[in-house]
Amino acid sequence: MSAPGVDSSVDLGGIRLRNPVLTASGTFGYGLELAPFLDLRRLGGIVTKSVSLEPRSGNLPQRIAETPAGMLNAIGLENVGVEAFLKEKLPALPEGLPVVASVFETEIERYARVCERLSADGRVAGLEINASCPHVKAGGIEFGQRPESLAELVRATRRVSRLPLLVKLSPNVTSIAEMARVCEGEGADALSLINTLQALDVDVETRRPRLRNVLGGLSGPAIRPVALRCVFQAARAVAIPICGIGGIGSAEDAIKFLLCGASAVQVGTASYLNPMAAGEVVDGIAAYAARHGFARVRDLVGALELPG
Amino acid sequence: MSDPRLPIRCDAEVAENRAESGPNRRLRLRVPGWPGSAPGQFVMLSPGARAAVERQDPLLPRPMAVYRSVACDAGSEIEILFKASGRGTALLAEARPGERVRVVGPLGRGFPDPPAGRAALLVGGGTGIASLHDLAARAAGRTPTRVLLGARTASDLMGGADFEALGVELRIATEDGSRGARGRVTELLEEALAGTPGASVFACGPTPMMQRAAALAAACGAPCFVSLENPMACGFGVCLGCAAPRADGGFALVCRDGPVFEAGEIDWGRLA
Repeated sequence: MSAPGVDSSVDLGGIRLRNPVLTASGTFGYGLELAPFLDLRRLGGIVTKSVSLEPRSGNLPQRIAETPAGMLNAIGLENVGVEAFLKEKLPALPEGLPVVASVFETEIERYARVCERLSADGRVAGLEINASCPHVKAGGIEFGQRPESLAELVRATRRVSRLPLLVKLSPNVTSIAEMARVCEGEGADALSLINTLQALDVDVETRRPRLRNVLGGLSGPAIRPVALRCVFQAARAVAIPICGIGGIGSAEDAIKFLLCGASAVQVGTASYLNPMAAGEVVDGIAAYAARHGFARVRDLVGALELPG
Repeated sequence: MSDPRLPIRCDAEVAENRAESGPNRRLRLRVPGWPGSAPGQFVMLSPGARAAVERQDPLLPRPMAVYRSVACDAGSEIEILFKASGRGTALLAEARPGERVRVVGPLGRGFPDPPAGRAALLVGGGTGIASLHDLAARAAGRTPTRVLLGARTASDLMGGADFEALGVELRIATEDGSRGARGRVTELLEEALAGTPGASVFACGPTPMMQRAAALAAACGAPCFVSLENPMACGFGVCLGCAAPRADGGFALVCRDGPVFEAGEIDWGRLA
């Protein structure tokens, strides 16, 4: 039930979305897992679990730990691999639902091969390059923390695909604005931010790290103010659209990101505790726009009133 | 395996929340639209739904076995037995009648039906006992059923009287000998297996207990099903936090592929 008279549609780097709410990679499986709880067609789109060239089995447990207003994870990019994704997962999703495929690899050349493979399937609406996973031994964040390697990664994936190209950035950098500009300069169509914050927790009874992997990624409401700051800074640094991520569980949370310059948002960890969260965010944004006299949700983007 | 029912997500109403024994509590929830559950299935409970504003700390729902699924005049009710042991369960312990607790479930694959004509040995340790009640009820009508329950001390033991009421043979072990036999429940299992050729074993409890039960069952060729209790964030297969190493390599998800597994499917050495 979207609010009458409100146009919720947005454009995210060439992907036309009926509303600005997607689900974040790694929190929504390949989509169908949540279908018992939520009509997927209500969503703006979904970003699927990162896929790699070959299947990956992930890290040994313990893989998750609850922390204040958040959680740590070190799943290790467990995924079915790009071929099984294309053959088994993608065709099962409802027609007309924009599907952004998240891509993770350990080498630039392999990232490019996954992107090439995904781009050959008409059902993929866009690619999201995961250049920021903090809990695997190789790949991911090592590309996202140095401007030169990030540039190389974006260039290589841009070269093989004409699909809208999103780059998912890490908050674990000195200057998010610089990283955003690097991606824009290499032809990225949009940015997704932020991925999890690299983090650690300890069990004092056993004197061991709570995760087998020692380090993990922090997500949930605890990181929302950090994510908002990153979106705010990135939005002022580049002209390409931004998809805001980080602790979004309600429409109010999502609207903060839109106001700070995000054109769309992704609901992540919140789906774990409330599998209907993304649908509630869709309805709540439209209701807010109607209540505040915005005919188009996209007019909320960057509408933050700064002190004079 | 048991028939899967599509899970629902709803705000349940606390019908009753009372002390069970020691640190354990019994929570009875009125669950609108509850589709019923198979023995061994579980729910995710968020005490966060108690207030109008969503609670963000503690953030995650808690996986809890459905102890009993009961149809009543006011709709369906489920009972949860739990131990108040951390931040989430402390909040659940405080939930008063009339307050709301968010439920997602029923989830996972429960226990297979105990085969008729084969004795069923149910082994529960600590809070793992909560997974066995509905299985005992189903087994009792089909086949000779013995329930073996273990706890550290008598006041930690949950559910004892309910099992007695089912008419199954009940044996209890406590580590300090304050109730039943002194020692571990797996010692009772060892005895029971020796005296019951052709039995099947169904176990839920701490990992070392289940690992021992699996080894005892394997030694005499008895089928053994275990219900794992790994931490999880979602309960429906997307967080991938509850991965359990498989004996044949890779991981199973406790929430989706389990929580009940044939003991031989699990790589116990890498699970611990």
